[in-house]
Formats: sequence, C-alpha cells, structure tokens
Amino acid sequence: MTFWSMLQELLGGLSVSVEIFFFTLLIALPLGFPVALGRMSSNWAVSGFFRLFISIVRGTPLMLQIIFVYFAPYIFFKMPLSHYPRLLATVLAFGLNYAAYFAEIYRGGILSIDVGQREAARALGMSRRQTFLRIILPQTIKRVIPAVGNEVITLVKDTSLAFTIAVTEMFTIARQLSSAHTSMMPLIAAGVFYYIFNYFVAFAMEKLEKRLSYYG
Amino acid sequence: MKAFTILAPLAVAMTMICGCGQEDDGVRRFTVGFDADFPPYGFKEGSEYKGFDLDLARAVCERKGWKFVANPINWDAKDMELNSGSIDCIWNGFTMQGREDAYTFSSAYVDNSQVVLVKADSAINDFASLAGKVVGVQTDTPVAKALASGGDRQDLGSTFKAIVVEPNYNQLVNELDMGAVDAVALDVGVAKRKMCDLPGKFRMLDEIVMKETYGIGFKKGNTTLRDEVEAALREIANEGLMAELARKYGIDEQALILK
Repeated sequence: MTFWSMLQELLGGLSVSVEIFFFTLLIALPLGFPVALGRMSSNWAVSGFFRLFISIVRGTPLMLQIIFVYFAPYIFFKMPLSHYPRLLATVLAFGLNYAAYFAEIYRGGILSIDVGQREAARALGMSRRQTFLRIILPQTIKRVIPAVGNEVITLVKDTSLAFTIAVTEMFTIARQLSSAHTSMMPLIAAGVFYYIFNYFVAFAMEKLEKRLSYYG
Repeated sequence: MKAFTILAPLAVAMTMICGCGQEDDGVRRFTVGFDADFPPYGFKEGSEYKGFDLDLARAVCERKGWKFVANPINWDAKDMELNSGSIDCIWNGFTMQGREDAYTFSSAYVDNSQVVLVKADSAINDFASLAGKVVGVQTDTPVAKALASGGDRQDLGSTFKAIVVEPNYNQLVNELDMGAVDAVALDVGVAKRKMCDLPGKFRMLDEIVMKETYGIGFKKGNTTLRDEVEAALREIANEGLMAELARKYGIDEQALILK
C-alpha cells in the first residue's frame, strides 16, 4: 500500500463522512426550531410530546438510535430491508438526534432574550408572530452560534458511528486499511483528516459569528 | 420561484441519498456480509474487498450470473443484518460450531483451529504457562464463548487472569504487540497472516484451543439460496480454484474440506 493510495481510499471515505455531515445539518438545523417552539408551547400535550422526544434522544446512545432507525421497519413490520438505503437511515437518525440538541440550544437562546423586548414590541403594536420573527429570532441566531458550533464539530467526529449499520465512512476505511496492512498509519492519517475538516468548520463558524456581530 | 430554488437542491440531495442510482436492472444481487478486519479471509485491498472467502463468493457470483456485492458489516450486528435481509449471507471465516441452531449453514468447506499467539520474546511456551495471564479474544466468536465460564474450554479459560474482549482482530494484535495483553486466541489463518505481516514479532503456541470448521451462514430456513450457492461452490472446488486461492492467501491446503 503506497501512501498515496491510502490517502485516496481515506478521501473516498471522507466523502461519505462529509455527506452524512451535510445532510444531517440540512435536517437538524431547521428541525431544531419547531422542536424548540413545541417544547416551549403553552399546550401541555404539545410541550409534553417534545419534552419526551428530547428526553429520549438525549438519554439514549446515538449508536442505539442508528440501529433502531435502520432496523425498525424489520423489527416492527417484518419488512425486508434490501431496498432501505443505509445512508438514509444514518442521516435520519443523526438528523433527529442533532435536532433535539439544537432545539435545546435554540430554546436557551430564545429564553435569553430579555422579556422587556417582547413588551416593547407589543407596545409598538407588533403581533406575536412579528415579534418572534423580527425581534426574537435574529437575536437568538446570533447568540446560539457558539453553542451550535460545538455540536457541529462533535457531529464531524460522530459520523464514525455510521458503521454501526455498515456505512463505510472514513474511520471505518481507516480501520480496514489498518487491519489489512497491520499498520497504525491509516488511523493517524484519519485523525489528521478529521482535524483539518474541523479546522474549516471552526473557521466557518467564527466567520459567521463575526458577520452576525453587527453591533460590534 | 423561491420555493423552487430551495426545493431543487433538496430533491437532488434526496435522490443522491436514497441511492436511486442503484439500478435494478433485473440482475440478481448477492450481498455478502463480512468483517473487513479479518485478513486473509476478507479485507480491503486498494479500492476493493478481497480475501479467500470473498474471492470464492465472487467466483460463485460469476458462475451464477449474479451481481457480487461485498458489504463490510459491524460484526456485532450480523444477525440483524442477515435476518432483516440487508445481506444474503455471512461468508467470512465463519465458524459453524456453537452456531448451528442460529443459521442455515452450507457444508463445511475449511477446517480451522483456534490457536494462541504470543510475542516472540514471551516466556509463555505452552497452555500451562498461560495461567495468570491476560488473554484477548474477538467479540462474539466461538473461541470467546468457549473460553468464558460455562464454555467448552472453560478448563483453559479459567486459568487466565482475565479475558479481554476486543471489537476486532487488528486491535487484538496491536494490543499484543504493545503488551496490553499477554496472548491472543484467534483463527490460525489470521495468526499466520499477522506473523507474515510483522515478521519476527509473534510466535504461535503448538497446542490448539479448539478445532472447528468454516461454513457459509444463511438466514435460518433459507435453504434455497444455500443449496444454489453450495452447488456452485462445489463446482469451483472441483475445478481447483479453491486450492489455488488457498495458496494465494497462505491458507494450509490440507485444511480444505471441499477439493
């Protein structure tokens, strides 16, 4: 195994990791909002439902959730899984899991906005909807960026859990190469790749934070 | 327009992720589940998965006109993978003993023995000197079951200081190399491969923990597929391909049951 062929194989695996990463964010970042609002709902049934959802997702291992999402159709309905794409199950599991965490971050952000602002908005004749979309939400987004960045970086590393249902992402490729050639090199190289990936993620989050800090 | 600009990339994304590119062109797929941390039976070489067992499976598919799909799986999830139809069989130095009731097996095609690997400079020379030592095994393997309390080789296992269960063989051998465990119990084919990869580092004890045979594991009750695969496998063995592959991957030809 030459060094270059190893890097090539790892990059192939990295593309799978990146795919999981982006699709998870595509689902979880927006989904976190309805979950947060549901959790804060004054209707006890709605808030109870989302409270339970968040509680289960946070209280069980992501690995178990991946297994559950992939095998559930078979376990409950005896449906054969030969046409159920593993990547889809992975992204669904990751998306639901991260949405729960994002929801709590968003909720914290929303609650951190001073109640005086709501009162001021009402005094100006804004509806609740207008108040939320124009006053609360923009400030929330700004405030939650550092906490969201934390989760996003964790997500990069969590992609390795996808092998639980046999999705061969980068870490799995690294381990397979390590086994085939009895060498630690692929694992070290994978670590470097994760670091570079996260370096860019952190960089992007920082840029975003700067751009949003319009009050200096 | 705005909705379209948002939905279009989403739709592209969803088709990508659903793997809708996976054409169902009427060709039957034969998905082999295996542990890719298991050279020389199944492992990654370049961009492909190869090995004694995978090459045999590939040959069966060529003969039957099936599309060969090598699917590395998480060894702990193999039963779910098989029962749910995600894979068609487990073909990967798959020991039959102790699992007879859980799968529909092909006939045994290779004799295997479980041996003990120690470091070349270790003071351990036989099973008696394993007493009070830490021994590593792979998770969910017959040898792990046999050495544990209540197993067939409990007599041996109970003399150890501890049995460490590892997720894969590579880690086991690495830990042996680094001194985290004193010895590892593993399949003779894998042991030989590792001694060949890292010459002079390890030594194999003469005694054998247990003898066993490899078979191809199918979902319980799936005798149709089993019979089809087995018939093709026998033809392949008759033509001498199995012996050829054994030579290629350093597996003792004497160990072949089907020839």
